[in-house]
Amino acid sequence: MTAFPFDLSSVMQPVAQARGLPNPFYTDPEVFQVEKERVFFRNWAALGFITDCPEPGDAKPVTFLGQPLVMVRDRDGILRVFQNICRHRGMILVQQEGPIARVIRCPYHSWSYELNGALRTTPHVGGPGTNRHDAIKRDELGLIEVRSHQWMGIVFINIDGQAAPFEEYAGDAIARYADFEQPRYRCGDEGTFTMDVASNWKLAIENGAESYHLPWIHPGLNSYSRLEDHYHIDSVGPFCGQGVTVYNPSLSEDGRRFPAYSGQGEKWANGAEYPMFFPNVMIGLQNDHTWAFIVEPVTHDRSREHVQIFYTDPDVAGDEWAAMRRKNADMWAEVFAEDVFVVEGMQKGRSATGFDGGKFSPVMDNPTHEFHSWVAQQMTD
Amino acid sequence: MLGADDRLDSALLAAHAANDLPNLSRLYTQAADLAETRGDVDATCFFLTQAYVFALQADCVGTGGLHARLVAYRREE
Repeated sequence: MTAFPFDLSSVMQPVAQARGLPNPFYTDPEVFQVEKERVFFRNWAALGFITDCPEPGDAKPVTFLGQPLVMVRDRDGILRVFQNICRHRGMILVQQEGPIARVIRCPYHSWSYELNGALRTTPHVGGPGTNRHDAIKRDELGLIEVRSHQWMGIVFINIDGQAAPFEEYAGDAIARYADFEQPRYRCGDEGTFTMDVASNWKLAIENGAESYHLPWIHPGLNSYSRLEDHYHIDSVGPFCGQGVTVYNPSLSEDGRRFPAYSGQGEKWANGAEYPMFFPNVMIGLQNDHTWAFIVEPVTHDRSREHVQIFYTDPDVAGDEWAAMRRKNADMWAEVFAEDVFVVEGMQKGRSATGFDGGKFSPVMDNPTHEFHSWVAQQMTD
Repeated sequence: MLGADDRLDSALLAAHAANDLPNLSRLYTQAADLAETRGDVDATCFFLTQAYVFALQADCVGTGGLHARLVAYRREE
């Protein structure tokens, strides 16, 4: 990789002096290609949800930044991520989401793989009716596994395989949110949705990181989640974001609440936090449900946002909770949809040649600055 | 289809068209059995391989037996 052609030192200044990332980070496809390698492949990027493959035998092909991948849950319940290609001729293996009975059979020459990636058979590889050959060493030709880790219901991947172990990379976040290391359940289809957004992937993370915009973009929150009840999470890395000291949603006229996690510290009785876990996932942590909001970078100016709501108890899937689930999902979908206007507006604004990356509020924009600074560091290291 | 009679050949083509994996495995096993009675080892193992692969994919009960036959011919690991 050649030296990166941008001086990003101003981005990494303290917040009061810093400028935001320059325009090409939002408008230039070549910068996006460098980000792919340096920001996403080198780190632990969010790929999908554990509920994408809930049952043994489930497989889901996913294209992530051009990489053909497949998530597979084997017969023992272990979820792995593989490159979705046959080791023979590079043919795409799994074409569509669904259960696999026993093996993944390549549709080209039928090399077949166990769900744990092991190469099971190589039909006719030694001539018609001969399925073995000394040059074909099956134990060296299993599916190429992509390093993965599951946390908070999210499947993370480290494509280049060189990042620090997830427990180390995310150590501070794991410690801070240990009270949420509890079972989580997908209850109802309404809690799973996607949004296509005409903006660079970073803008969704930047926007979600700060509470500064809440009273203007999300006026509905002013009644129960006021700006003065929010605080910022920064200087912890590799995540930043916001928290709220008063979490008290009204989802039912009779005051009924979803079942809450037990054994949590006092902080979570009335509080909630919304960390942006670098590079590309926002997490919502409330005592009665959590969610993950993965920003899939599609191109330099297009993203796809994948949302999954998780509940604390599988019983919430029952009909008696359906109306509240619907109301909760609608509430979050409305909040996320309100943000589309600003992230798409900022994307358009990044074409203004006079824009210098922007000036941060030293009080209200610290998490956004921290994210910019982190990206700048990844790009220049 | 090599070594298979016309009726079997037609049934195989129909099973391929329908992507009927258990039936494909069953029909290729029949073709293997016919070839085996003729003493044609290469044709037998060709059809056994086809039967085995589709049995594996569909997780058919007879997968182990097909594998064992191929191993006995030293054609499979």
